[in-house]
Amino acid sequence: VRRLLAVGLPVALVLVALPFVLNGYGVQVATVALYYVVLGVSWNLIAGYTGQFSLAQHAFATIGAYASAVVALALHLPLPVAILAGMLAAALVGLALGWVTLGMQGVYFAIATWAFAESVRILLAVNYQITRGDMGLAVPFLFDSPDPTPAYAVFVVLALGAVGLNALLLRRKIGYRMRALRDDQELALAAGIDVVKTKRLVFVVSTAMAGLAGAVYGHAVGLLSPSQANFSQMAFIIIAVVLGGFRTLWGPVVGALVAQGLAEALRASAEARLVIFAALVLVIVRVYPPGIMGLVDRATALLDAWSTRRPGRARVAAASRPGPSP
Amino acid sequence: VPQLLLQVLVVGLLMGVVYALMALGITFIASIMKLINWSMGEFYMLGSYLQYQLLSRVFGPQLWFLAVLVSMLGVFVLGLLVQRSLLAPMFRYDQARRFEYATIITIALSVLLQNAAIIVAGPYQYAPKDYLPSVVVASLLLSLNGTRLASALGAALVLLVFWWFLRRTTVGLAFLGTAQNRLGAQTAGIRLQRVDMVAFGLGVALAAAAGALLAPVFLVYPTDGAVSTVKGFEIIVIGGLGSLPGAVVAAFALALVESFGSVYISPAYQDLYGFAFLMLFLLVRPQGLFGERERRV
Repeated sequence: VRRLLAVGLPVALVLVALPFVLNGYGVQVATVALYYVVLGVSWNLIAGYTGQFSLAQHAFATIGAYASAVVALALHLPLPVAILAGMLAAALVGLALGWVTLGMQGVYFAIATWAFAESVRILLAVNYQITRGDMGLAVPFLFDSPDPTPAYAVFVVLALGAVGLNALLLRRKIGYRMRALRDDQELALAAGIDVVKTKRLVFVVSTAMAGLAGAVYGHAVGLLSPSQANFSQMAFIIIAVVLGGFRTLWGPVVGALVAQGLAEALRASAEARLVIFAALVLVIVRVYPPGIMGLVDRATALLDAWSTRRPGRARVAAASRPGPSP
Repeated sequence: VPQLLLQVLVVGLLMGVVYALMALGITFIASIMKLINWSMGEFYMLGSYLQYQLLSRVFGPQLWFLAVLVSMLGVFVLGLLVQRSLLAPMFRYDQARRFEYATIITIALSVLLQNAAIIVAGPYQYAPKDYLPSVVVASLLLSLNGTRLASALGAALVLLVFWWFLRRTTVGLAFLGTAQNRLGAQTAGIRLQRVDMVAFGLGVALAAAAGALLAPVFLVYPTDGAVSTVKGFEIIVIGGLGSLPGAVVAAFALALVESFGSVYISPAYQDLYGFAFLMLFLLVRPQGLFGERERRV
């Protein structure tokens, strides 16, 4: 609870305060950042906590976006229904893909999800009669207006909801099963855990999250294109999560916000930003895997020590902290 | 039309050799270090840029084969450095985390190199001069693109030297032994750290060779390695991850299927067939055509 307050409260406060500080463009940037937050949380759930290194998270967001667009444009149903349909579509495809791939070993699972994501992108680009291919598909806006603030509010709810769901799952039996099968699959099997079933369940939750984020994002931006399923999107999700802290609850949130904020602050070209972020990730993974959340943990430990003014106890507290992978 | 058939067959075979180079690089690294190098396309790209610079500044278009060798050498050295500084620490972790570590590192590396290339050389396409003029075999009514022929011959030569090195030299046998069983190789006194380092360098040098040889055919630009990487992954899954003969056979099979498919079937969905094949193999026969189980102690 203390950790939750230490990070969650400031993050939530900043998120609520942002639209009052920023102009329309800034709010739009923040909305995009929150889209990556939800994708990062959903990827961290399956890759970080369950150990299944999926490379298709961006593809499930794209599926959600296009499914929602088709329901809204072709069936003329209201947007909330369309968005739910998008989430459902992503979850169903996730169920199917998980059914066939989650039994594979790590390397093969990564290649299979990568191939799936590339197929989604090519299918969307090739079937241009329906998707208008690379020209982009115009979709109706949330609340019928391109004003970014309401969409931003929706995304704040989504992001905090995603973190909440993640925290809840971790406290349930399934959360322990996830981490058990990640750390030692054979031991988990021996302990009577239905490994494949657990993986499937988490994968469906994770893809549904991504589909929901993609569907809402599509209606917030108003334009879809197959480039949303480019592998560079997946690379950016990984970069953001690792920057913030892989396998931590708040890592994806902090990582995506910091990455997007830094990108705006640097005012460099898109390529230069990516070079900097990629280099940062190399350094973090190589030298300090806990990422930003690791630093936050250290800082809170130091604060604890300072407030109790008992350095001996502080050292013990710092040592007994769960460290990089809770 | 036998001429058309022959033409398609020859084009397929010429591409097959170069595909084999790329796939062999991926699968060789995978067999030794048990990791997938997601930045293979960027090493291909570096090879093609090096080749272009060497051709236009140092050697001139006649000495393209020398330039290929120097490009390979340059990327080989870079590969050694990358392995030593970034990938070697993966062995601090256990099996599952090793793979995660390597995946994150190589994906970040690919983002880094690709965007650095855009910054340094711009998003432009460069076209090196052709290696050889086109050849017409009059007796068979066959016309051959000279550069494709030259790149195929070069690739075949590199493959043969690589094959000879692995099979006929003690050092090469040490690589094969490490691929079969790391612990066993270590027990036999093989220094795994050194084997890993050189294996990674050799693997990415093969990608650089493909990039340098194909530079005049597919041109030189920041994402020019993407297509070959995709083909490479398809090939290694079909041939069996870590299997060297499998990679070569599957490379020719894919190249021939593509070359026949693009003439006799519609080319629009061509890229999807490869992925469909890949998925099918992963589901039905994940060890591929030639894959064998790892020998455990």
